[in-house]
Amino acid sequence: MTMTMSNPASASPYLPRVATVAEACKFTPKEAWFRFEFADGQGIQYAAGQFMEVSVFGVGEAPISICSAPGKRGDLEMCIRAVGDVTNALHTLQVGQTVGLRGAFGNGFDMDKVAGKDLLFVAGGLGLAPCRSFILDALNHREKFRNVTILYGARTPADLLFTKDLEAWAQRKDSTFLMTVDRGDENWKGNTGVITTLFRKMPKVDPANTAAFIIGPPIMFKFAVLEALAMGLRKTSIYCSLERRMKCGLGKCGHCQIRNVYVCQEGPIFNYAEVMRLREGI
Amino acid sequence: MTIFHAERQVVLDLLGKPRDAVTFVPSPPDPQHHQPVFASACGQPTLDALIQPRPPQSARACFQPPSESLGRYGGGEGPPQAQAPPTVLVGLRACDLRALELLDRVLLGEPYQDEGYRSRRQAATLISCDCVDCSEACFCTSVAGQPFPQSAFDVNLTPLNGGFLLEPASDKGRQWLGDVSLEEASPEQIRQRDSQRNEMTLRVQKQNAAFPSALTAEKPPALPEGDDPAWQRQAGACVECGACTNICPSCYCFYLYDQLLDESGRFERVRTWDSCLLSTYHRMAGTPALKPTPRPKLGGRLANRVLHKFVYSPEQVGLLGCVGCGRCTEACLGGLDVRQVLREVSA
Repeated sequence: MTMTMSNPASASPYLPRVATVAEACKFTPKEAWFRFEFADGQGIQYAAGQFMEVSVFGVGEAPISICSAPGKRGDLEMCIRAVGDVTNALHTLQVGQTVGLRGAFGNGFDMDKVAGKDLLFVAGGLGLAPCRSFILDALNHREKFRNVTILYGARTPADLLFTKDLEAWAQRKDSTFLMTVDRGDENWKGNTGVITTLFRKMPKVDPANTAAFIIGPPIMFKFAVLEALAMGLRKTSIYCSLERRMKCGLGKCGHCQIRNVYVCQEGPIFNYAEVMRLREGI
Repeated sequence: MTIFHAERQVVLDLLGKPRDAVTFVPSPPDPQHHQPVFASACGQPTLDALIQPRPPQSARACFQPPSESLGRYGGGEGPPQAQAPPTVLVGLRACDLRALELLDRVLLGEPYQDEGYRSRRQAATLISCDCVDCSEACFCTSVAGQPFPQSAFDVNLTPLNGGFLLEPASDKGRQWLGDVSLEEASPEQIRQRDSQRNEMTLRVQKQNAAFPSALTAEKPPALPEGDDPAWQRQAGACVECGACTNICPSCYCFYLYDQLLDESGRFERVRTWDSCLLSTYHRMAGTPALKPTPRPKLGGRLANRVLHKFVYSPEQVGLLGCVGCGRCTEACLGGLDVRQVLREVSA
């Protein structure tokens, strides 16, 4: 349903701001990309790793990572997998229809904290969505970092997301991009195997001076972290993004609590030392 | 701080005095718990509740209602939450005041001061009272509490020899007393109050002798991790009704949902209490292999509730999440007693 509505940015943070679907693209049968523009003309400031509460009017609200390059802007992008009530409803939206957005929430990550280091991005499946925000930030400010390596793994060639970005990253001379699929098809000429196999194919990094961003399903995270640790990376230099059911985004409603942490406040970006302490985090 | 003495009738008159504020008093306990305990004082107020054990419900609902609108959208309306009307809450106990301190730290803490809560909190005058009787479930003395308020009230009442001692502690409190003429309490009356308080403290301590005690935010109980089988054994009695979280004065978790107001597509965003014991609380969309819903087992959720109260809450906000009121023990349909749970899982 399309509605004309507005509400001031100064209203309660529990109330959504109205945004319009400016562009949409179906990447796979289950995953679609959206670009939302705020109807009130007052943009948004966000950092890599932050998330929004997305409302489909009359259906519900769900927390979803931002996948576009951070900064202050009038729009934002998300890649959304249809898995529940809200996300399935999102997949039926057409360009011009409206959603509600609250945020940005979460700690996010300031890439300046890792300026001067080698960067290693490891994205598995839909984990590429939040990871893309970090990658674009790093590539947009390429001069701030030393070697940049991007590893991406998907189940099959048909599951690859952001294929235009993947091509662009593969073309770049100032960074390394490797991808793999668990199972290829007759046309697939690239790497096959789980994502950890890429660790042996990538250029050497300086482990004491590398920050890794490992974002993907729990099983992939566990094994990718083992590889990163085996390479000599410090636990505090390995970052990941935790998923929880953030309901309010404001550290009050309790739904995203893990031990003494509200993920919507102190996360969702944690380093591996913190994740280990949280135990049930992954 | 000056402490005054007043006869019973003077306090009754104070409760019944016409004011701009609505006065809420505990209504006489109803064994069925079917009526709201903090009800608007209409007709002739009674002081019975002030000399009985703490009411079976707390005043939490007066600050964080079980369900409330957070605003409408779709039609350009502003936030609906105008300043809350002034209220006077009578009969809060020391445990209730401690619970409010915790709610303050969470709901008024960074990064956002919850507007509705702040407004109701500011508009409320808190008239607390000493406990001169206790429930078998009471255990405030085990969690660094006392059965008499020492701070955070506007006026505290101490039932004493058929009359009351009154201790105003704020401008709001003095305003509530108004121009009523009161005599200063005598040193003897203060001594009697102190000895009455000591007796009550000893009585609560004595009834909890068999359970863990001396628990503080700095020294919480040593409890096993949430996946320990001890929790699963305790959860055998839990029927997952959420009564303990609903009755708890210091539980604050809530859920948000939208309600369609009319055909034109205007919505109201509603907040309701939620319970971390319910299986739907943490549920996430997606297959279990991809996105594990945390704490899928009831034992894990029960563990999380207890651990949050006694271990995580001190780490998060510097306060124990449990004030020892024992209301959850009375409310539990499965007969779980939090003191016993603490004792058995620590064993």
